[in-house]
Amino acid sequence: MDIYSFAIQNKEFLKIIYGLIIWLICVVIVFKTDKLFEISLHQGIKYLRNAFFFYGFAFFLRYIVGSYYFVDSIPGIYYSLINIIFAFFLAMAGFFLVYSLIWKKIEPYDDRALSSFLNARIMIFYFLSLIIAIMDYLWKTHNFLFISQIVIFFIATIISFSNFSHKARKQKFPKFYFIAMLVSLVIWIVNALASIYFNWDPGFVMNVYFLNVIVFLIFLYGVKSVTKKLNAVKN
Amino acid sequence: MVKKRERLEIIKDILKVLQTNRKMKPTRLLYASNLSPQMFKDYISELQMKKFIKLEQDKKDKNFFLLTDKGHNFLQEYKVIANFIENFGL
Repeated sequence: MDIYSFAIQNKEFLKIIYGLIIWLICVVIVFKTDKLFEISLHQGIKYLRNAFFFYGFAFFLRYIVGSYYFVDSIPGIYYSLINIIFAFFLAMAGFFLVYSLIWKKIEPYDDRALSSFLNARIMIFYFLSLIIAIMDYLWKTHNFLFISQIVIFFIATIISFSNFSHKARKQKFPKFYFIAMLVSLVIWIVNALASIYFNWDPGFVMNVYFLNVIVFLIFLYGVKSVTKKLNAVKN
Repeated sequence: MVKKRERLEIIKDILKVLQTNRKMKPTRLLYASNLSPQMFKDYISELQMKKFIKLEQDKKDKNFFLLTDKGHNFLQEYKVIANFIENFGL
């Protein structure tokens, strides 16, 4: 049996592993960036941390709590609820990620001590995410989530490309970050294609999972390399 | 137009000035920080609360600020954090 057939036959188990890996990466990123925020009180770090907090929660809920092995014991209404919350948290995470790149241009200087979870601008994201999740549920589709995330990651890709082109000579990570954003954009486009044209073909979806793990690992690499340096400074 | 300094940058500038001058009178530090008196007061209170700087008195009972060990450590950590913020474009 080749790896591909093995993956397809054990896809429900692999989904749990996939969800667990992404959740663990998110937990590490949240804790590591929390330390950075504690020292710096930088709002951008807080928004980045919030993004991974929401990603972690979304993946844990959808792939572990809502996994095939538990779903049988959960009434249908709860499974629908899991999907709505998953879409909501995923959309929020995307908004937080892109907002971490543009907040400086939006938030006035005198207004930066507000909570990063509950300020007026973030409320707009909550509202939009709720609309996206509810519309997806009512129309029994994922298209609203896909469209929103494609737009978000298109913006994030352009911003990170601009950062990369300004700093490419000095540092190597902006290049990785730009690649991570670009791959995320591709993943959302591929997800939309898998849903619309390929009827969630398991082989296709497995490749998407693989790419997604790589993207999260790139983020983790960026965070870990900094916190490692921070520990070296302390010692 | 002169770019506005980030909060983290202002803290770094205040600590750096203290590191270079070793000890400074509050008025001199205010001028060096290039902040309004109200903003200076806010930042100084925060830095004192975080124990990055401390206020002491000399033999003539004149107040002056000093950089603490924690403040020295922060200056080292600042470089790493600034690098992170720049890398992620935050």
